Amino acid sequence: MATISQTVSKKATLSDRLIVVLDRIKTPVFYFILIGWAVLCIAPLYFTLVFSLKPVANVYDPPLFWPIPFSLENFRDVIGALPLFPRWLLNSTIISLVVTFARVLFCAMAGYAFARMEFPLKKFLFTALLISMMIPGQVTLIPNFLVVGPGIIRGGLKIGDLTIPTGFGLMDNLGGVILPGIVAAFGIFMMTQFYKSIPKELEEAAMMDGLGRFGIFFRIVLPISTTQLLTLALLTFQGEWNSFMWPLTILRTPENFTLPIGLNWFRGEYYTLISKVLAGSLFNTLPILIIFFIFQRYFTQSIAGTGLKEG
Amino acid sequence: MAEMVSNRPAGLFRRGSNPEKRKKRSEALTAYLFLLPYLFIFLTFTVFSIGYAFYLSFTRYNLLRPPEWWGLEGYRRVLCLEALMPRAEDAPPLTCDDLFIKKALPNTVKYTLIVVPTQTVLSLILAFAMDQKLRFRRLFRTIYYLPSVTSSVVISLIFVWLFSPLGIVNQIFNLNINWLNDPRYAFYTIMILNVFTTSGTLMLIFLAGLQDIPTAIYEAASIDGANKFQVLRYITIPMLRPVVFFVVTVGLIGCFQVFDQIYVMTSGGPLDSTTTVAYLIYKWAFRDTTVKMGQAAALSFILALIILVFTLIQRRIIEGSGSVGSA
Amino acid sequence: MKTLLKWFVPLMVLSLLLAACQPAATPTPEKVIETVTVEKEKEVVKTVEVEKPAERAVVRLSGWAASPEETALLQSILLDFTVENPDIVVKYEPITGDYWQQLKTSIASGVEPDVFYMDIFQFPAFVRDEVLLPIDDLMAKEGVKRDDFIPSLIDAFSEGGVTYGIPKDFNTLGLFYNKDLFAQAGIAEPTDDWTWDDLKAAAEALSDPANNIYGLGVPADPGRFPIFVFQNGGSIMTDDYSDTLLDSPAAIEAATFYTDFRKNQSGAIPADVGEGWQGTVFGKGQFAMVYEGGWLIPYLKQQFPNINYGVVTPPAGPKGEGNLIFTVAYVISRNSKNPEAAMRVINYLTGEKAQTKVLESGFALPTRLSLQNSEYLKTNPASSAIFRGALQGARPFVWGLVGSDVNEQMGKALERIYLENQPVDAALKQAAQVIRQKIAEVK
Repeated sequence: MATISQTVSKKATLSDRLIVVLDRIKTPVFYFILIGWAVLCIAPLYFTLVFSLKPVANVYDPPLFWPIPFSLENFRDVIGALPLFPRWLLNSTIISLVVTFARVLFCAMAGYAFARMEFPLKKFLFTALLISMMIPGQVTLIPNFLVVGPGIIRGGLKIGDLTIPTGFGLMDNLGGVILPGIVAAFGIFMMTQFYKSIPKELEEAAMMDGLGRFGIFFRIVLPISTTQLLTLALLTFQGEWNSFMWPLTILRTPENFTLPIGLNWFRGEYYTLISKVLAGSLFNTLPILIIFFIFQRYFTQSIAGTGLKEG
Repeated sequence: MAEMVSNRPAGLFRRGSNPEKRKKRSEALTAYLFLLPYLFIFLTFTVFSIGYAFYLSFTRYNLLRPPEWWGLEGYRRVLCLEALMPRAEDAPPLTCDDLFIKKALPNTVKYTLIVVPTQTVLSLILAFAMDQKLRFRRLFRTIYYLPSVTSSVVISLIFVWLFSPLGIVNQIFNLNINWLNDPRYAFYTIMILNVFTTSGTLMLIFLAGLQDIPTAIYEAASIDGANKFQVLRYITIPMLRPVVFFVVTVGLIGCFQVFDQIYVMTSGGPLDSTTTVAYLIYKWAFRDTTVKMGQAAALSFILALIILVFTLIQRRIIEGSGSVGSA
Repeated sequence: MKTLLKWFVPLMVLSLLLAACQPAATPTPEKVIETVTVEKEKEVVKTVEVEKPAERAVVRLSGWAASPEETALLQSILLDFTVENPDIVVKYEPITGDYWQQLKTSIASGVEPDVFYMDIFQFPAFVRDEVLLPIDDLMAKEGVKRDDFIPSLIDAFSEGGVTYGIPKDFNTLGLFYNKDLFAQAGIAEPTDDWTWDDLKAAAEALSDPANNIYGLGVPADPGRFPIFVFQNGGSIMTDDYSDTLLDSPAAIEAATFYTDFRKNQSGAIPADVGEGWQGTVFGKGQFAMVYEGGWLIPYLKQQFPNINYGVVTPPAGPKGEGNLIFTVAYVISRNSKNPEAAMRVINYLTGEKAQTKVLESGFALPTRLSLQNSEYLKTNPASSAIFRGALQGARPFVWGLVGSDVNEQMGKALERIYLENQPVDAALKQAAQVIRQKIAEVK
C-alpha cells in the first residue's frame, strides 16, 4: 500500500481533471458497450428461432426478421421422428451432472494443492498439466478409446492363468463417457489461478485454530470460492452437454446416445434440412439456458453476501 | 525457516525428530491426497495416450493395418526437411507435405495473433462494464453467455447461414461479400465467430476474478487517496494477473487448436485459406482415404511445442503473475 | 450453497460407483421374450413378440444414419428378418457423426461391427489392407448370385475376381431441369438424347444474370465435373489408379467446356447466388439446370414442394455418354465371429423384398437387375432417369488409394480457375502434379 500513496501524491492534478470528465461520460459509455454487445449476442439465436419456427417449405421466403408463416412443424417433427428423445435427454443429463460434480470437486482439490501446498514434484506436475493441455485431441482419441473400451492389449494381459484386462471395458456405456472427464487439466489450471489470487489470511487463521488441510478446504476454501466453482461448473456442464466427438466414439446403440449425437440424425447424408437442424439445436440449448438462469441467483448472492470481502 | 535449519543441522538426518520436517512430509502427503483423483486420470489417460501418440509419431499408420516403424520420416514429411533423413545420393526426390509449412502454420499464427488479443481485451472491457453498479446486470450477463452456451457446431451452422452472400450480415450492412467462399474473407469470418463465442465465457472468468479482489484493498487505496486510474493500474490489473495469465493461456491453446468452426464452416477451404494446424491433423488422421495417423501424430507434437513456446513468451510478457514454482 | 456442497461428495461417489459397477451388456444365452416396437409407415405401430432360441448369433451392423425416416425403415426390415431368423440377433449401431473416423477408430481398436456400409470411394484402401472378408464362398452357401445385381455395381465391389461386398443401393447423376424456366425462355425441354451443344445453347438462352438466374450449375465439385471428362473420352485416373489423367488433353478440354459456362455467365457456382449447395439454388429457381443425384428428389419434395421439374440422363459429349455411380455396399469384417450369420443378414437386406420396400419409400435405388421393370420406376420418371444412368456408360466414383487427394485437387483446380482466374491447363497440371506426389507418398 505504501507504493500507492507515494505515487498518488506525485501526479494528482492532471489525472484528476480527466477523471471528472470520464466519470460523467462513464455510465452512458458502459451502457452503450453493454447494450451493443447484447444485441450482437442475441441476434444469431433470435434468427435461429425465427428460422426454426417457419415451415420447411417457406424458410427461404421473406420476411427474415419474423416467423411468418408461423409453424411448430419442425419441433413436432424432431420429437416425433425420434422416439428415443426422452432417453437421450436423460443420458445427457446423467453424464453432464456426474461429470460436473466430480470435476468441480476434484479440480478444486487439485487446484488448491497446487496453489497453496508445498510438495515434491510440484513444479514438474504443474508443467506436465500445462503441457497436456497443448496436445490436440485428434491423436489421443484412439489411445483414450483403447483404455476406456477394449483395452490396450486385445483380450487382456495374460500372466499364467490370470488375465488382467488392460481397459475399463466401458464401450457403449455411459460410464465410459464420464470417466475421462471427471478431472480436466483446464479446470485445475483455472482453480489454481483463482486460489492464488485469494488472500491467505482466513486459512491461516483457521490453521491457528487447529483445523487440518481437509477441514480448511471443505469448511473454508470451498465456501469462499463459490463463484469460481460455479463458473467451472457451468463451463463443465456446458462442455459436457454439447460434447460430441468422445460420446460418439464410445456410445454405439441408439438407446445410449446423448442428445447431440441423437439430434445429429437430422444432418443428412446428402443434404440437410437446416430448419430441422436448428429446431433440434434449440432443444439442445434450452436446458443450459434454464440452468444458467437458475444459477444466476448464486452468482449474485456470492458477490453481495460474503462477509470475507468486507473484512 | 532457513535460520532454523542452519541452527540445527543434525535435524536433517534425524527423520521425524524435526517437527518442521515432519510437517513438511505430512503436508506433501496431504497434497498428494488432494491430487489423487487427478493423478489417477492423468496416469491412465493423459500419460498413456500421449505416450502412445508419441510412439505413433514415429510410425506409418493408416488405422487399417498395424503401425510400422518409420523413424523420423513422419516429422520430415511434415516439416519438409531433407536433413532429417540420411539417404543415398541417387535416391529419387523425397516427397513431403508442404501444407503445414505453407498454409497451416502461417494461418494458425495469424489467427492466434489476431483472436487472442481481441477476445482478451473485449472480454476485459465487458467484465469492467459488468462490474459497475449498473442496472440490468443480471440480464446482460445471461445474454452475454448465450453464444458460449450454444454448441460450437450449432453456432457455426448459424454463422454459415448469417454470412452467406444473401445473408443477414450483407443485407444489414448493404455489402456484397462472399464471406465464406472468398479466400480473402473466409478466415476473418471464422475469427469473428471465435471472438463472438469465447468473449462471453472469458468475460465470466474476468468478472469472477474482479469480484474476488477484496473490497478492503480498494477501501484502503481510497483512504490513501488513490484516484481511479491508479486503482486500476496499481490494484486491479496486478490483482487480475493470474486471471489474465489464465485467460490468455487458455485463449492461446484454444486458438492453436481451433477445429470445430473450421470443420463445420469451410473444411479448410477455399484454397486452404482456412486450413489450420488442428484441422490439418484431423484431415491427415481421419479424412484422407489413406489415413496418415503417424504424420498427424508428429504434427500434434510439433503443434504442442509451438504452443509451449508461445505460452512461455506470453508468460514473460505478463511478468509477475507466474505459474506455480516461479512465484 | 452450503447444503448444495454437502450433497456434492456423496452424490458424486454414488454416481461413480454406479458407473463403475454397471456391467457391460452381454447377450444372455437364455430364452428371452423380446418386445420390439417399430414405427412403420406413419401411424401403424407394430408390436411383435419374438421367441428367441437359446443359441443366438449376434451380428453387429453399422452404417451412417442418413435420416430418422430411413433408419426407421431399416429397423422395420431388420425386425422382419428377426421374425424369420430367430437364431440371429442383429444389433444395429448407427453412426450419426463422421462415419469413416468412427469406423476406422473401431477397426484400429479391433471392435469393428460384423457388417458395415462401404462406400465405393473408400473401398480400395479397405481391400488393400485386408479388412474385408472375401464373400464368394459365403454367397454360394447362401445362394446369392453375382448375376442378380447390376454388373457395374457388383464389379465395383470386386477386385481380382474376388467379391467383397453386396451393393446396397446406388445413385447416378441426372440433369435436373426447371420446367417453368424452360417454358419462360420458350425452348424445348431436354431429352435423353441431348448433347453438349444442346446443353450449351439452352444454358445461354435460360440465363438472366441481372435477375440472378443462370442456365447451369457448374460447382467446383469433384462429384460432378468428372462426367464431362468421361463424355469427352477422357478419364480421371488410369485403370490401375497408378497415375492421374487429369492433365490429359481430353480432361483439359472438358474442364474448359465446364468452366466456360461461368465465364460466359450462362452458368454459375452456388456461392455466386449465396448458397452452399446447388440443390437449394435449383429449388429456389435460380439455376435452370443442375447435375445432381437421386437425393435431390426427396429434398425438393420437402423443401420446395412447388417446383415443377424433370430429370433426364446427362447429355452426351463428343465421345458419347458418361456418368458417375455413387454406390454403397454391405461388407463383412475379417474379424467377424459369425460370417455366415452376417451373410444371411446381408442377403436379406439386399433381397428383392427388402429392396422393393426401400425403393417404394423413395430413399434409394435398388441394385437388383430384376427390379428395373418395377412399377415404382415406371410411375416415377425422375427416379427412373437416375436408375437408367447406371446402364449408360457410368463409372464408379473411385480414384484409388489417394481418392480424397484427387477430389481435393480437382476441387481446388476448379476453384483456382473460378476465383483466381488461373488458366485451365495450368490449373489441371498443378493438380495432376500434386496428385502424383500423393501417389508416391502412399507407395
